[in-house]
Amino acid sequence: MQRSRKIVVLGHFGVGKTSLIRRFVEDTFSDNYKVSIGVHITKKVVVLNADDAVTFILWDLEGTDEMEQIRDAYLLGTHGVVFVFDVTRPSTFQNLIRDIEIVRQKIQGPPILVVGNKTDLIDLEKLEQQMLENTIPYDFLTSAKTGNEVEAVFLKLATLLNEDA
Amino acid sequence: MRMLEQYKQQYLAGNIQFAIVDPNGKVLDCDQHVLPIAPGDSLPDFHPFFECITEISKGAEEEILLNCVHLPGKDSEVIADIHIHRKPEGLLVIIYDLSQHYNNYQAVAQARNESIIKEELIVLKNQELEEREKFKNTFIQNFSHELRNPLGSMLSITNLLGNTPLTSEQRQMIAFLKDSNQNLKLMLEDILSISMIATGRLALDQKVFDFHKFLELIRFTYSAKAEQKGLSFALEIDDKIPERLTGDRLRLYQVLTNLLDNALKYTEEGAIGLRISLNQRRANKVYLRFVVTDTGSGIAPESIPKVFESFSRADAPANVKGTGLGLPIVKGLLALMESEIQLHSSLGKGSEFYFDIALKYPLPSEEAAWLMESPATYTLPPWAKKGKKFKLLIVEDDEGIQTVLFKFLMDTGCFYIDLIYDGARVMEAVIQDQYDLIIMDVDLPNISGKQLTRLIRGLPMDPLKSIPILGLTARAYEQNLAGFRASGMDEVLTKPFENNTLLNTVFTLLK
Ligand SMILES: Nc1nc2c(ncn2[C@@H]2O[C@H](COP(=O)(O)OP(=O)(O)OP(=O)(O)O)[C@@H](O)[C@H]2O)c(=O)[nH]1
Ligand SMILES: [Mg+2]
Repeated sequence: MQRSRKIVVLGHFGVGKTSLIRRFVEDTFSDNYKVSIGVHITKKVVVLNADDAVTFILWDLEGTDEMEQIRDAYLLGTHGVVFVFDVTRPSTFQNLIRDIEIVRQKIQGPPILVVGNKTDLIDLEKLEQQMLENTIPYDFLTSAKTGNEVEAVFLKLATLLNEDA
Repeated sequence: MRMLEQYKQQYLAGNIQFAIVDPNGKVLDCDQHVLPIAPGDSLPDFHPFFECITEISKGAEEEILLNCVHLPGKDSEVIADIHIHRKPEGLLVIIYDLSQHYNNYQAVAQARNESIIKEELIVLKNQELEEREKFKNTFIQNFSHELRNPLGSMLSITNLLGNTPLTSEQRQMIAFLKDSNQNLKLMLEDILSISMIATGRLALDQKVFDFHKFLELIRFTYSAKAEQKGLSFALEIDDKIPERLTGDRLRLYQVLTNLLDNALKYTEEGAIGLRISLNQRRANKVYLRFVVTDTGSGIAPESIPKVFESFSRADAPANVKGTGLGLPIVKGLLALMESEIQLHSSLGKGSEFYFDIALKYPLPSEEAAWLMESPATYTLPPWAKKGKKFKLLIVEDDEGIQTVLFKFLMDTGCFYIDLIYDGARVMEAVIQDQYDLIIMDVDLPNISGKQLTRLIRGLPMDPLKSIPILGLTARAYEQNLAGFRASGMDEVLTKPFENNTLLNTVFTLLK
């Protein structure tokens, strides 16, 4: 039987969690913003190589600017976390380190990837500089709109989980 | 009682589903109220949400509640709370269909999130615009400063050149050169004013001045200017306005000349005018209304808001020259004076610009002090004429200004002059020679004028440490000037300056 892994995608609202998952799972994008409430769950098989694949059960959580408010029940049995912020809105990353700490307390163990999304809207070089100057630790800079680096996030997560297994 | 039970059945049953499943999520028994599942189905196959069941069955919790889960219902999406209880037979899964409740909540969240995000983006956008505006203004400000030095040299050299033997053709050319220099200087001042207003670096002076003399100067200037254009100029003053007032004479002059120049510029025939009336007199304040009129082309109503904006002159005819900053400067200066420019205009008939300001008029004691302080126009003092020469030290690294200063002061025949380019050599020179006055550029390359002044003021020898020091600067901000004075300079002049101003200042300091 194929291994399946529960991945929760979380972050402030409107940062593009739903869009990233939709890009990854269906390879589509919409400019419309429909606020997610509660949780949407989808499934996607990630092929690592010819004879290795893993099924991701992707939990797309309602966005919140208070990480404490995330319901613990949603996090039960989580194998990996994608924390998304919006590079065009400082409020979604100015307390990033603290936000991640809170998430870390709730989910001890599994890897957390930090992703800055909507890079299509600003100059990537300037952004990288700005992130460096403000010591914002991130793992990937993505665009759900263009698809840039989206796959890379999930492949990286799959690889990390594979090593653990 | 039975009725109540019946209703309860009817309403609750439709929204709640019960299922018993084994640890792998296979349905052992269930009803069909919410989700289309049947005994024998595998819940994880029905929807990936139920993969969590295997996890829960391994865990220690007796029961778990998962709120607001989106699942595929019988004909549309269902948003449900899912309660899972561990029981001896397996897991009891209770599904509460709360779609209606959650859809209401979604609408609220939608509105809230959208408005928060929109607001944040607007704030960001404004910040960005403000930063760009600030950058632009600082850039313009610095740039105009850089232009002041060479312009100062040009003005002075042209003056000097005018005093040498010339043919009448050359004299004409000099006149033209002077004119152009003067225009350049005015435009530069405009640009500097507007950028200083925009960056909030302009402070108003509060000094006593002779209001009637002030208006005489305007009458004199604008009668001549109007006549040149074949127009007439009328100045009306309410004679109940006190003679002396307290305020920023220069800035008020700038406001009025900008308005009058503007009136002249757009009027081809008829008259321009300035009318000043006393609105009221209270405590020690007068409330004045200034009205500048013209019989020019007028301004279309839709263009009126635009005429006071920087860099966007309303459909300026191609032949009208200048920076177009006159009216924006007026608006900015009046805002500093807590007033506002108003405008009545009709196309083809002319315009009327007006504003109200309150000016203090001085108490008798203040007035006396002013009369004593008020500087006389320059005449060589008798003791200077008798042939006593003063020793001056000029410290200036800009060669153009150096030459100009040197030549002009030499020509008066009143001075011996030493020139130093390098700030580092000043102390040595000051100690060796007994100077009567030091004229010093405050922006020297190696050591600042302020530092030098402090060094000199700190010298132990008495006549040396109190040598009058006159600073020259291209940076005209109030706060800078105050800083220079605080360092011990006796006076500071802003470049470019008029020869007469320089001489006056020099002799005042030498007295
Ligand atoms: N330009 C651009 N817009 C994006 C990108 N990702 C998402 N968006 C837009 O951002 C808005 C929010 O996207 P969602 O994916 O709904 O964000 P979310 O994080 O799921 O939001 P919540 O569910 O409310 O927490 C939508 O209008 C998207 O079209 C991106 O990479 N580039
Ligand atoms: Mg979402």
